[in-house]
Amino acid sequence: MLAAVLLAGSIFCGRFAVAQAASLETLLAGALVPSSSPALLGPITSTGRTGWECKPERAAASASVHAAQLPDDPNIP
Amino acid sequence: MRVLLLAALLVVSAEIRAAAQAYSPATPVPRTTSAPALRAYAIAREVEERFKLGLDADARGDWTAAAAEFARVAALRPPEPKGSTALYDLAIAYAHLHRYDDAARALRAALALDHEFLAAMANLIAVDLSRGDLQEARAVADRYVALDPQSARALYSRGLVALHAGDAATARDDFGKLLHTNPSYAIAHYDLALAEERLGNYDAAERELRAALELAPAYARARFALGVVLLREGHHGAARDEFSRAMADASADPALKNVAAAMRDAIKGP
Repeated sequence: MLAAVLLAGSIFCGRFAVAQAASLETLLAGALVPSSSPALLGPITSTGRTGWECKPERAAASASVHAAQLPDDPNIP
Repeated sequence: MRVLLLAALLVVSAEIRAAAQAYSPATPVPRTTSAPALRAYAIAREVEERFKLGLDADARGDWTAAAAEFARVAALRPPEPKGSTALYDLAIAYAHLHRYDDAARALRAALALDHEFLAAMANLIAVDLSRGDLQEARAVADRYVALDPQSARALYSRGLVALHAGDAATARDDFGKLLHTNPSYAIAHYDLALAEERLGNYDAAERELRAALELAPAYARARFALGVVLLREGHHGAARDEFSRAMADASADPALKNVAAAMRDAIKGP
């Protein structure tokens, strides 16, 4: 009798643990989202993208995250 | 004496007039009577005027007016670089009007005219992410990185597209390269950690998240992600502490605060 109760209890606990793990996974799914997309680079005058004065093209080519105008506030989702 | 004074005044007056005439008019006066040439002058003038009107509209946030001006410039098919530039500017106006499909079309047309227009590539990837076209975003990002492998925006954009598309290996490479030149960029540490987590490298993910939090201690998403990684590593108590702290740091992000609270509550106590 005792063995049957223990067996039933362990099955119940096992199922509960599996259910809890599944609910954790459900919570995790989609919770780890990548950072935000960078803002659009700004407009360009009629002289076009060539030349040092074209800030958007310079930003697009820069190796620096600041000059590239990438997101700088980590808490903006 | 009076004659000499008069002569001097005349000389000075002539010099002033000559100096004034040195200024050229804003638009060169057409020196032709040919109808096609005059038409070409008129179109060139219209292109310049509409560019100015469109940029002025951009500056005051009147995206509808800006789109109308740049669409007209594009329809006039001016020579390069004006054609691709008008399409690029048109796409910015469309994107602000949430007309993402039109924006993508305009940027594709700009890139067809100028194959190495990096700013157009950067904006097309951002627009594609907004409209959920990960396939085109990835193709453009690959081209962008190939043209300029050092570009921070190229690496960030492709890394982001790769993370969204489930290509964690490419994301890891791109964010790793970005951090090589920008080691204090907390957001890239966070994205690199997500890639490592998806690849099952929890120790590397934990290291990157701790680096992100060292740089930005109130980075709530990094704090939350650290809780997740610690949970994966079996450190339940430490994970619960990180979720509690993420809740406190996520005051500006109610969705994250709720998920962090649910995660904290779902973990059994010691």
